[in-house]
Amino acid sequence: MRFGFVSFLPETELVAKFLDELKHNRLMGAKCKKCGTRYLPPRAHCACGSTEIEWYEAPKQGKLLAYTIVAFPPESMIKYAPYIPAIAELDDGSRLLAHITDVTPKNLQIGMQLQVVPHQISMDRLTFKFKPL
Amino acid sequence: MNSQVTEKVGIAGIGQAKFGKRSDTTIRELSYEAAIPALQDAGNCANDVDAVVIGVAGDEFAGQGSSGAVINDYVGMTGKPMFRVEAACATGSAAVRAGWALIQSKLASVVLVIGAETMTQVSSAKATELMAKAGETRWEYPLGTTFPSYYALMATAHMHEYGTTREQLSMVSVKNHKYGAMNPYAHFQKEVSLEEAMKSVMICHPLNLYDCCPISDGAAAIVMANEEKAKKLNDTPVWLTALGASSDKMMIAERQDLTSLLATKLAAEQAYRMANLTPKDIDMALVHDCFTIAEIMAYEDLGFCKKGDGGKLIQEGQTYIGGKIPVNVDGGLKAKGHPLGATGVAMTIEAVRQLRGEVGPRQVNDAEIALSHNIGETGQYCFVHIYSR
Repeated sequence: MRFGFVSFLPETELVAKFLDELKHNRLMGAKCKKCGTRYLPPRAHCACGSTEIEWYEAPKQGKLLAYTIVAFPPESMIKYAPYIPAIAELDDGSRLLAHITDVTPKNLQIGMQLQVVPHQISMDRLTFKFKPL
Repeated sequence: MNSQVTEKVGIAGIGQAKFGKRSDTTIRELSYEAAIPALQDAGNCANDVDAVVIGVAGDEFAGQGSSGAVINDYVGMTGKPMFRVEAACATGSAAVRAGWALIQSKLASVVLVIGAETMTQVSSAKATELMAKAGETRWEYPLGTTFPSYYALMATAHMHEYGTTREQLSMVSVKNHKYGAMNPYAHFQKEVSLEEAMKSVMICHPLNLYDCCPISDGAAAIVMANEEKAKKLNDTPVWLTALGASSDKMMIAERQDLTSLLATKLAAEQAYRMANLTPKDIDMALVHDCFTIAEIMAYEDLGFCKKGDGGKLIQEGQTYIGGKIPVNVDGGLKAKGHPLGATGVAMTIEAVRQLRGEVGPRQVNDAEIALSHNIGETGQYCFVHIYSR
Protein backbone atom coordinates (compact mmCIF):
# COMPACT_ATOMS: atom_id res chain seq x y z
CA MET A 1 0.00 0.00 0.00
CA ARG A 2 1.21 3.52 -0.78
CA PHE A 3 0.28 6.83 0.88
CA GLY A 4 -1.51 9.58 -1.01
CA PHE A 5 -2.23 10.29 -4.66
CA VAL A 6 1.38 10.47 -5.87
CA SER A 7 4.72 9.45 -4.40
CA PHE A 8 8.30 10.48 -4.80
CA LEU A 9 9.65 8.59 -1.79
CA PRO A 10 9.76 4.85 -1.16
CA GLU A 11 7.33 3.72 1.56
CA THR A 12 9.10 2.77 4.76
CA GLU A 13 8.04 0.38 7.51
CA LEU A 14 6.68 3.37 9.42
CA VAL A 15 4.35 4.31 6.54
CA ALA A 16 3.26 0.70 6.09
CA LYS A 17 2.29 0.45 9.77
CA PHE A 18 0.50 3.82 9.64
CA LEU A 19 -1.50 2.78 6.56
CA ASP A 20 -2.33 -0.60 8.03
CA GLU A 21 -3.90 1.09 11.06
CA LEU A 22 -5.57 3.74 8.92
CA LYS A 23 -7.26 1.03 6.90
CA HIS A 24 -8.93 -0.01 10.14
CA ASN A 25 -9.98 3.58 10.80
CA ARG A 26 -7.30 4.25 13.38
CA LEU A 27 -5.27 7.45 13.01
CA MET A 28 -1.88 6.70 14.55
CA GLY A 29 0.83 9.12 15.57
CA ALA A 30 4.27 8.60 17.07
CA LYS A 31 5.18 9.67 20.60
CA CYS A 32 8.68 10.03 21.98
CA LYS A 33 9.12 7.88 25.07
CA LYS A 34 11.78 10.24 26.38
CA CYS A 35 10.42 13.78 25.95
CA GLY A 36 6.78 13.04 25.16
CA THR A 37 6.69 14.98 21.87
CA ARG A 38 3.89 13.78 19.60
CA TYR A 39 4.20 13.53 15.84
CA LEU A 40 1.18 13.27 13.56
CA PRO A 41 1.68 11.93 10.94
CA PRO A 42 4.35 9.78 12.62
CA ARG A 43 8.14 9.97 12.45
CA ALA A 44 10.71 7.26 13.07
CA HIS A 45 12.90 9.40 15.33
CA CYS A 46 12.33 12.24 17.76
CA ALA A 47 14.05 15.56 17.11
CA CYS A 48 15.27 15.46 20.74
CA GLY A 49 17.72 12.71 19.81
CA SER A 50 15.71 9.79 21.09
CA THR A 51 14.90 6.86 18.83
CA GLU A 52 12.49 5.34 21.32
CA ILE A 53 9.13 5.98 19.76
CA GLU A 54 5.77 4.49 20.62
CA TRP A 55 2.53 4.61 18.68
CA TYR A 56 -0.55 6.41 20.01
CA GLU A 57 -4.02 6.75 18.60
CA ALA A 58 -4.85 10.36 17.70
CA PRO A 59 -8.33 11.85 17.93
CA LYS A 60 -10.20 11.95 14.64
CA GLN A 61 -12.29 15.01 15.35
CA GLY A 62 -11.28 18.61 14.95
CA LYS A 63 -12.05 21.95 13.40
CA LEU A 64 -11.06 23.63 10.14
CA LEU A 65 -8.26 26.22 10.41
CA ALA A 66 -7.42 26.95 6.77
CA TYR A 67 -8.25 25.66 3.31
CA THR A 68 -7.63 26.27 -0.35
CA ILE A 69 -9.15 25.04 -3.57
CA VAL A 70 -6.45 23.94 -5.98
CA ALA A 71 -7.57 24.83 -9.50
CA PHE A 72 -4.08 24.73 -11.03
CA PRO A 73 -2.51 21.44 -9.93
CA PRO A 74 1.03 20.17 -10.44
CA GLU A 75 1.48 17.89 -13.44
CA SER A 76 1.00 14.63 -11.52
CA MET A 77 -2.28 15.74 -9.89
CA ILE A 78 -4.13 17.04 -12.95
CA LYS A 79 -6.70 14.23 -12.92
CA TYR A 80 -7.70 14.96 -9.30
CA ALA A 81 -8.23 18.74 -9.65
CA PRO A 82 -9.94 20.69 -8.31
CA TYR A 83 -9.23 19.47 -4.79
CA ILE A 84 -9.38 21.12 -1.37
CA PRO A 85 -6.30 20.81 0.86
CA ALA A 86 -7.06 21.96 4.39
CA ILE A 87 -5.48 22.16 7.81
CA ALA A 88 -7.49 21.08 10.83
CA GLU A 89 -6.79 21.27 14.52
CA LEU A 90 -7.70 17.98 16.17
CA ASP A 91 -9.22 17.71 19.61
CA ASP A 92 -5.81 17.13 21.27
CA GLY A 93 -4.40 20.33 19.70
CA SER A 94 -2.34 18.60 17.00
CA ARG A 95 -2.71 19.76 13.40
CA LEU A 96 -3.09 17.78 10.23
CA LEU A 97 -3.22 18.51 6.50
CA ALA A 98 -5.65 16.59 4.27
CA HIS A 99 -8.21 17.09 1.52
CA ILE A 100 -11.77 17.89 2.56
CA THR A 101 -14.37 15.66 0.99
CA ASP A 102 -18.18 15.79 0.77
CA VAL A 103 -18.29 19.58 0.79
CA THR A 104 -19.11 22.30 -1.72
CA PRO A 105 -16.94 25.44 -1.77
CA LYS A 106 -19.96 27.46 -0.59
CA ASN A 107 -20.27 25.38 2.57
CA LEU A 108 -16.62 25.73 3.55
CA GLN A 109 -16.31 27.66 6.77
CA ILE A 110 -13.27 28.12 8.96
CA GLY A 111 -14.09 26.70 12.37
CA MET A 112 -16.42 23.99 10.99
CA GLN A 113 -16.25 20.57 12.67
CA LEU A 114 -14.47 17.83 10.73
CA GLN A 115 -13.82 14.13 11.07
CA VAL A 116 -10.76 12.26 9.77
CA VAL A 117 -11.77 9.31 7.58
CA PRO A 118 -9.69 6.79 5.64
CA HIS A 119 -10.06 7.05 1.87
CA GLN A 120 -9.04 4.31 -0.55
CA ILE A 121 -7.83 6.09 -3.70
CA SER A 122 -7.14 2.95 -5.72
CA MET A 123 -6.29 -0.71 -5.10
CA ASP A 124 -2.82 0.19 -3.82
CA ARG A 125 -3.25 3.75 -2.59
CA LEU A 126 -4.70 4.98 0.68
CA THR A 127 -5.02 8.38 2.32
CA PHE A 128 -6.99 10.15 5.03
CA LYS A 129 -9.48 12.91 4.37
CA PHE A 130 -11.55 15.38 6.36
CA LYS A 131 -15.30 15.01 6.24
CA PRO A 132 -17.71 17.58 7.70
CA LEU A 133 -19.45 16.30 10.82
CA MET B 1 27.67 38.44 17.07
CA ASN B 2 28.01 42.17 16.50
CA SER B 3 31.20 42.61 18.45
CA GLN B 4 33.00 39.97 16.41
CA VAL B 5 32.36 41.70 13.09
CA THR B 6 35.70 43.19 12.22
CA GLU B 7 35.54 43.54 8.46
CA LYS B 8 33.22 46.01 6.74
CA VAL B 9 31.78 44.30 3.66
CA GLY B 10 30.82 46.37 0.65
CA ILE B 11 29.11 45.77 -2.67
CA ALA B 12 31.42 47.14 -5.33
CA GLY B 13 29.70 46.01 -8.51
CA ILE B 14 26.30 44.89 -9.78
CA GLY B 15 25.05 43.27 -12.98
CA GLN B 16 21.73 41.80 -14.05
CA ALA B 17 20.36 39.92 -17.01
CA LYS B 18 16.87 40.87 -18.16
CA PHE B 19 14.38 38.59 -16.35
CA GLY B 20 11.61 36.90 -18.31
CA LYS B 21 11.09 34.06 -20.74
CA ARG B 22 14.64 33.92 -22.06
CA SER B 23 14.48 31.08 -24.55
CA ASP B 24 17.34 32.82 -26.37
CA THR B 25 19.74 31.65 -23.68
CA THR B 26 20.69 28.85 -21.30
CA ILE B 27 21.88 29.26 -17.72
CA ARG B 28 25.49 29.92 -18.76
CA GLU B 29 24.75 32.80 -21.13
CA LEU B 30 22.29 34.32 -18.66
CA SER B 31 24.90 34.19 -15.91
CA TYR B 32 27.41 35.83 -18.24
CA GLU B 33 24.97 38.69 -18.92
CA ALA B 34 24.95 39.37 -15.18
CA ALA B 35 28.52 38.53 -14.11
CA ILE B 36 30.53 40.47 -16.70
CA PRO B 37 28.72 43.80 -16.10
CA ALA B 38 29.12 43.26 -12.33
CA LEU B 39 32.89 42.80 -12.75
CA GLN B 40 33.05 45.86 -15.03
CA ASP B 41 31.02 47.92 -12.57
CA ALA B 42 33.61 47.02 -9.92
CA GLY B 43 36.51 48.50 -11.89
CA ASN B 44 37.11 45.51 -14.16
CA CYS B 45 38.18 43.46 -11.20
CA ALA B 46 38.18 39.92 -12.66
CA ASN B 47 41.81 39.43 -11.58
CA ASP B 48 41.10 40.63 -8.04
CA VAL B 49 38.32 38.09 -7.46
CA ASP B 50 39.58 35.47 -5.04
CA ALA B 51 36.37 33.45 -4.54
CA VAL B 52 33.15 32.73 -6.42
CA VAL B 53 29.80 31.75 -4.90
CA ILE B 54 27.06 30.55 -7.23
CA GLY B 55 23.40 30.22 -6.29
CA VAL B 56 21.19 27.94 -8.40
CA ALA B 57 18.17 26.32 -6.75
CA GLY B 58 17.30 23.41 -9.04
CA ASP B 59 18.98 21.11 -11.54
CA GLU B 60 15.91 19.74 -13.28
CA PHE B 61 14.69 23.11 -14.61
CA ALA B 62 17.87 23.81 -16.54
CA GLY B 63 18.73 20.22 -17.41
CA GLN B 64 22.18 20.87 -15.97
CA GLY B 65 23.42 19.19 -12.82
CA SER B 66 25.76 21.03 -10.44
CA SER B 67 25.57 24.18 -12.55
CA GLY B 68 28.17 26.04 -10.51
CA ALA B 69 30.97 24.51 -12.56
CA VAL B 70 29.60 25.40 -15.97
CA ILE B 71 28.74 28.97 -14.93
CA ASN B 72 32.13 29.50 -13.28
CA ASP B 73 33.91 28.36 -16.43
CA TYR B 74 31.73 30.40 -18.78
CA VAL B 75 32.31 33.67 -16.88
CA GLY B 76 36.09 33.13 -16.88
CA MET B 77 36.64 32.25 -13.24
CA THR B 78 38.33 28.85 -13.53
CA GLY B 79 41.12 28.36 -11.02
CA LYS B 80 39.36 30.40 -8.32
CA PRO B 81 37.82 28.77 -5.24
CA MET B 82 34.15 28.24 -6.10
CA PHE B 83 31.11 26.51 -4.65
CA ARG B 84 27.36 26.51 -5.16
CA VAL B 85 24.75 27.17 -2.48
CA GLU B 86 21.09 26.19 -2.45
CA ALA B 87 18.24 27.44 -0.26
CA ALA B 88 15.19 26.98 -2.53
CA CYS B 89 13.67 30.39 -3.42
CA ALA B 90 16.13 32.09 -1.05
CA THR B 91 19.17 30.65 -2.81
CA GLY B 92 20.36 34.07 -4.00
CA SER B 93 20.40 35.58 -0.51
CA ALA B 94 22.10 32.48 0.87
CA ALA B 95 24.84 33.06 -1.74
CA VAL B 96 25.19 36.70 -0.64
CA ARG B 97 25.40 35.59 2.98
CA ALA B 98 28.09 33.04 2.06
CA GLY B 99 30.02 35.77 0.23
CA TRP B 100 29.82 38.00 3.30
CA ALA B 101 31.08 35.17 5.49
CA LEU B 102 34.03 34.42 3.18
CA ILE B 103 35.14 38.04 3.43
CA GLN B 104 34.46 38.25 7.15
CA SER B 105 36.57 35.14 7.74
CA LYS B 106 39.33 36.61 5.55
CA LEU B 107 39.27 33.53 3.31
CA ALA B 108 38.63 36.01 0.50
CA SER B 109 38.83 39.75 -0.08
CA VAL B 110 36.82 40.06 -3.32
CA VAL B 111 33.96 37.64 -4.02
CA LEU B 112 31.88 37.31 -7.17
CA VAL B 113 28.36 36.15 -6.27
CA ILE B 114 26.15 34.92 -9.10
CA GLY B 115 22.52 33.81 -8.78
CA ALA B 116 20.81 32.24 -11.78
CA GLU B 117 17.86 30.07 -12.79
CA THR B 118 16.25 29.03 -16.05
CA MET B 119 12.72 27.80 -15.39
CA THR B 120 10.69 28.32 -18.55
CA GLN B 121 12.05 25.39 -20.54
CA VAL B 122 9.47 23.19 -18.83
CA SER B 123 5.67 23.66 -18.78
CA SER B 124 4.07 25.63 -15.94
CA ALA B 125 2.50 22.44 -14.57
CA LYS B 126 5.92 20.75 -14.63
CA ALA B 127 7.62 23.76 -13.01
CA THR B 128 4.92 23.82 -10.31
CA GLU B 129 5.66 20.15 -9.68
CA LEU B 130 9.45 20.58 -9.58
CA MET B 131 9.03 23.34 -7.02
CA ALA B 132 6.45 21.35 -5.04
CA LYS B 133 9.03 18.57 -4.67
CA ALA B 134 11.05 21.02 -2.58
CA GLY B 135 8.18 20.87 -0.09
CA GLU B 136 7.52 18.03 2.36
CA THR B 137 7.44 14.85 0.27
CA ARG B 138 6.47 12.20 2.85
CA TRP B 139 3.02 13.38 3.96
CA GLU B 140 2.20 16.62 2.11
CA TYR B 141 3.29 16.35 -1.50
CA PRO B 142 1.44 12.99 -1.90
CA LEU B 143 -1.71 15.10 -1.34
CA GLY B 144 -0.85 17.45 -4.21
CA THR B 145 0.29 20.45 -2.18
CA THR B 146 2.03 23.14 -4.21
CA PHE B 147 3.58 26.43 -3.17
CA PRO B 148 0.56 28.43 -4.33
CA SER B 149 -1.58 26.10 -2.21
CA TYR B 150 0.57 26.57 0.91
CA TYR B 151 0.36 30.35 0.62
CA ALA B 152 -3.35 30.09 -0.17
CA LEU B 153 -3.84 28.18 3.11
CA MET B 154 -2.08 31.02 4.91
CA ALA B 155 -4.23 33.52 3.01
CA THR B 156 -7.55 31.98 4.08
CA ALA B 157 -6.29 31.85 7.68
CA HIS B 158 -5.11 35.50 7.50
CA MET B 159 -8.38 36.67 5.93
CA HIS B 160 -10.37 34.86 8.59
CA GLU B 161 -8.25 36.06 11.50
CA TYR B 162 -7.67 39.69 10.50
CA GLY B 163 -10.31 40.51 7.92
CA THR B 164 -7.76 40.87 5.12
CA THR B 165 -9.67 41.15 1.85
CA ARG B 166 -9.32 39.79 -1.68
CA GLU B 167 -9.12 43.38 -2.85
CA GLN B 168 -6.16 44.11 -0.58
CA LEU B 169 -4.32 41.12 -2.04
CA SER B 170 -4.86 42.51 -5.55
CA MET B 171 -3.65 45.95 -4.42
CA VAL B 172 -0.21 44.44 -3.78
CA SER B 173 -0.19 43.17 -7.34
CA VAL B 174 -1.24 46.54 -8.75
CA LYS B 175 1.58 48.31 -6.87
CA ASN B 176 4.25 45.84 -7.90
CA HIS B 177 3.17 45.92 -11.54
CA LYS B 178 3.26 49.72 -11.46
CA TYR B 179 6.93 49.66 -10.46
CA GLY B 180 7.76 46.69 -12.67
CA ALA B 181 6.64 48.83 -15.60
CA MET B 182 9.47 51.23 -14.70
CA ASN B 183 12.15 48.51 -14.41
CA PRO B 184 13.88 47.60 -17.68
CA TYR B 185 15.06 44.29 -16.16
CA ALA B 186 11.56 43.17 -15.09
CA HIS B 187 9.75 40.16 -16.56
CA PHE B 188 6.47 42.11 -16.80
CA GLN B 189 6.79 45.77 -17.68
CA LYS B 190 3.14 46.69 -17.77
CA GLU B 191 0.71 48.10 -15.26
CA VAL B 192 -2.47 46.27 -14.29
CA SER B 193 -5.70 47.75 -13.01
CA LEU B 194 -7.30 46.63 -9.77
CA GLU B 195 -10.20 45.27 -11.79
CA GLU B 196 -7.94 43.15 -14.03
CA ALA B 197 -6.00 41.88 -11.03
CA MET B 198 -9.16 40.89 -9.19
CA LYS B 199 -10.79 39.19 -12.15
CA SER B 200 -7.91 36.97 -13.26
CA VAL B 201 -8.15 33.18 -13.35
CA MET B 202 -8.09 31.30 -10.02
CA ILE B 203 -4.94 29.30 -9.25
CA CYS B 204 -5.54 28.25 -5.64
CA HIS B 205 -8.45 29.96 -3.93
CA PRO B 206 -8.19 32.75 -2.81
CA LEU B 207 -5.06 33.36 -4.91
CA ASN B 208 -5.60 34.10 -8.58
CA LEU B 209 -3.07 34.46 -11.37
CA TYR B 210 -2.23 38.06 -10.45
CA ASP B 211 -1.53 37.04 -6.88
CA CYS B 212 1.26 34.73 -8.04
CA CYS B 213 4.74 35.62 -9.23
CA PRO B 214 5.59 34.30 -12.69
CA ILE B 215 7.94 31.48 -13.59
CA SER B 216 10.98 33.24 -15.00
CA ASP B 217 14.51 32.90 -16.32
CA GLY B 218 17.09 35.31 -15.02
CA ALA B 219 20.48 35.96 -13.49
CA ALA B 220 21.99 38.57 -11.20
CA ALA B 221 25.54 39.08 -9.96
CA ILE B 222 27.38 41.26 -7.48
CA VAL B 223 30.99 41.84 -6.49
CA MET B 224 31.47 41.91 -2.72
CA ALA B 225 34.70 43.13 -1.14
CA ASN B 226 36.31 44.05 2.15
CA GLU B 227 36.42 47.75 3.01
CA GLU B 228 39.80 48.50 1.51
CA LYS B 229 39.10 46.73 -1.78
CA ALA B 230 35.49 47.95 -2.01
CA LYS B 231 36.64 51.57 -1.85
CA LYS B 232 39.33 50.89 -4.43
CA LEU B 233 36.99 49.14 -6.88
CA ASN B 234 34.07 51.55 -6.66
CA ASP B 235 33.65 55.22 -5.72
CA THR B 236 30.25 54.56 -4.13
CA PRO B 237 30.25 51.11 -2.56
CA VAL B 238 27.11 50.15 -0.64
CA TRP B 239 27.71 48.39 2.67
CA LEU B 240 26.02 45.17 3.73
CA THR B 241 25.93 46.14 7.38
CA ALA B 242 23.71 43.54 9.03
CA LEU B 243 22.37 40.07 8.36
CA GLY B 244 19.83 37.78 9.94
CA ALA B 245 18.75 34.27 9.00
CA SER B 246 16.42 31.62 10.31
CA SER B 247 14.45 28.50 9.42
CA ASP B 248 11.18 26.76 10.30
CA LYS B 249 9.37 23.46 10.55
CA MET B 250 9.04 21.50 7.33
CA MET B 251 5.34 20.62 7.66
CA ILE B 252 3.15 23.68 7.49
CA ALA B 253 0.45 21.95 9.55
CA GLU B 254 2.87 21.63 12.47
CA ARG B 255 3.24 25.39 12.81
CA GLN B 256 1.37 27.16 15.55
CA ASP B 257 0.68 30.30 13.51
CA LEU B 258 -0.49 30.12 9.91
CA THR B 259 -0.79 33.89 9.50
CA SER B 260 2.85 34.74 9.89
CA LEU B 261 6.31 33.36 9.06
CA LEU B 262 8.27 32.75 12.24
CA ALA B 263 11.55 32.63 10.31
CA THR B 264 10.98 36.18 9.09
CA LYS B 265 10.45 37.44 12.61
CA LEU B 266 13.57 35.68 13.92
CA ALA B 267 15.79 36.73 11.02
CA ALA B 268 14.58 40.33 11.15
CA GLU B 269 15.15 40.52 14.90
CA GLN B 270 18.77 39.42 14.40
CA ALA B 271 19.37 41.86 11.56
CA TYR B 272 17.83 44.85 13.38
CA ARG B 273 19.87 44.03 16.48
CA MET B 274 23.09 43.70 14.49
CA ALA B 275 22.43 47.02 12.72
CA ASN B 276 21.23 48.65 15.92
CA LEU B 277 18.15 49.83 14.03
CA THR B 278 14.39 49.49 14.26
CA PRO B 279 11.87 48.96 11.45
CA LYS B 280 11.18 52.72 11.46
CA ASP B 281 14.76 53.40 10.36
CA ILE B 282 14.38 51.49 7.09
CA ASP B 283 13.91 53.80 4.07
CA MET B 284 12.88 51.14 1.55
CA ALA B 285 12.48 47.37 1.51
CA LEU B 286 12.57 44.48 -0.93
CA VAL B 287 10.39 41.71 0.46
CA HIS B 288 9.57 38.20 -0.70
CA ASP B 289 6.25 38.60 -2.54
CA CYS B 290 6.11 35.19 -4.24
CA PHE B 291 2.37 35.60 -3.59
CA THR B 292 0.54 38.78 -2.62
CA ILE B 293 -0.34 37.36 0.80
CA ALA B 294 3.40 36.84 1.40
CA GLU B 295 4.04 40.58 0.96
CA ILE B 296 1.25 41.41 3.41
CA MET B 297 2.65 38.95 5.99
CA ALA B 298 6.16 40.38 5.41
CA TYR B 299 4.94 43.91 6.27
CA GLU B 300 3.78 42.55 9.61
CA ASP B 301 6.61 40.14 10.36
CA LEU B 302 9.30 42.72 9.50
CA GLY B 303 7.63 45.20 11.85
CA PHE B 304 6.46 47.77 9.28
CA CYS B 305 2.97 47.60 10.81
CA LYS B 306 1.11 45.82 13.59
CA LYS B 307 0.22 42.15 13.21
CA GLY B 308 -2.96 41.94 11.15
CA ASP B 309 -2.65 45.45 9.69
CA GLY B 310 -0.78 44.43 6.53
CA GLY B 311 -3.88 44.65 4.36
CA LYS B 312 -4.60 48.11 5.67
CA LEU B 313 -1.01 49.22 4.98
CA ILE B 314 -1.29 48.50 1.25
CA GLN B 315 -4.84 49.86 1.11
CA GLU B 316 -3.59 53.19 2.53
CA GLY B 317 -0.83 53.24 -0.08
CA GLN B 318 1.88 53.32 2.58
CA THR B 319 4.14 50.93 0.69
CA TYR B 320 4.26 53.11 -2.44
CA ILE B 321 7.05 55.66 -2.96
CA GLY B 322 6.08 58.61 -0.77
CA GLY B 323 4.41 56.32 1.78
CA LYS B 324 5.66 55.26 5.19
CA ILE B 325 7.80 52.41 3.85
CA PRO B 326 8.16 51.89 0.09
CA VAL B 327 8.24 48.15 -0.65
CA ASN B 328 9.25 46.32 -3.83
CA VAL B 329 9.60 49.43 -5.96
CA ASP B 330 11.55 47.32 -8.47
CA GLY B 331 8.36 45.34 -9.21
CA GLY B 332 8.99 42.66 -6.60
CA LEU B 333 8.92 38.99 -7.49
CA LYS B 334 5.41 39.60 -8.81
CA ALA B 335 6.39 41.79 -11.77
CA LYS B 336 10.18 41.56 -11.90
CA GLY B 337 9.97 37.78 -11.95
CA HIS B 338 11.29 35.05 -9.67
CA PRO B 339 14.13 33.04 -11.18
CA LEU B 340 14.81 31.27 -7.87
CA GLY B 341 18.61 31.53 -7.63
CA ALA B 342 18.70 35.06 -9.05
CA THR B 343 15.97 36.58 -6.88
CA GLY B 344 17.93 37.27 -3.69
CA VAL B 345 20.91 38.68 -5.59
CA ALA B 346 18.54 40.92 -7.59
CA MET B 347 17.10 42.22 -4.31
CA THR B 348 20.62 43.20 -3.24
CA ILE B 349 21.12 44.87 -6.62
CA GLU B 350 17.97 46.97 -6.23
CA ALA B 351 19.07 47.99 -2.72
CA VAL B 352 22.43 49.09 -4.17
CA ARG B 353 20.80 51.00 -7.04
CA GLN B 354 18.43 52.77 -4.65
CA LEU B 355 21.22 53.71 -2.24
CA ARG B 356 23.37 54.92 -5.13
CA GLY B 357 20.36 56.95 -6.27
CA GLU B 358 20.39 55.75 -9.86
CA VAL B 359 16.93 54.35 -10.59
CA GLY B 360 15.21 57.45 -11.98
CA PRO B 361 11.41 57.47 -11.76
CA ARG B 362 11.20 54.77 -9.07
CA GLN B 363 13.89 56.33 -6.85
CA VAL B 364 13.02 56.52 -3.15
CA ASN B 365 14.22 60.02 -2.26
CA ASP B 366 17.20 60.21 0.09
CA ALA B 367 17.22 56.46 0.67
CA GLU B 368 20.05 55.72 3.07
CA ILE B 369 19.09 52.40 4.60
CA ALA B 370 17.54 49.50 2.67
CA LEU B 371 16.41 46.04 3.72
CA SER B 372 15.99 42.84 1.73
CA HIS B 373 13.95 39.83 2.82
CA ASN B 374 14.14 36.55 0.94
CA ILE B 375 12.14 33.44 1.81
CA GLY B 376 12.84 29.86 0.77
CA GLU B 377 9.77 27.63 0.46
CA THR B 378 7.25 28.77 3.12
CA GLY B 379 9.84 30.05 5.55
CA GLN B 380 11.98 26.92 5.89
CA TYR B 381 14.71 29.35 4.84
CA CYS B 382 14.79 33.09 5.51
CA PHE B 383 17.46 35.74 4.99
CA VAL B 384 17.24 39.41 5.93
CA HIS B 385 19.97 41.87 4.90
CA ILE B 386 20.35 45.53 5.80
CA TYR B 387 22.34 47.89 3.58
CA SER B 388 23.63 51.42 4.04
CA ARG B 389 25.39 54.06 1.96
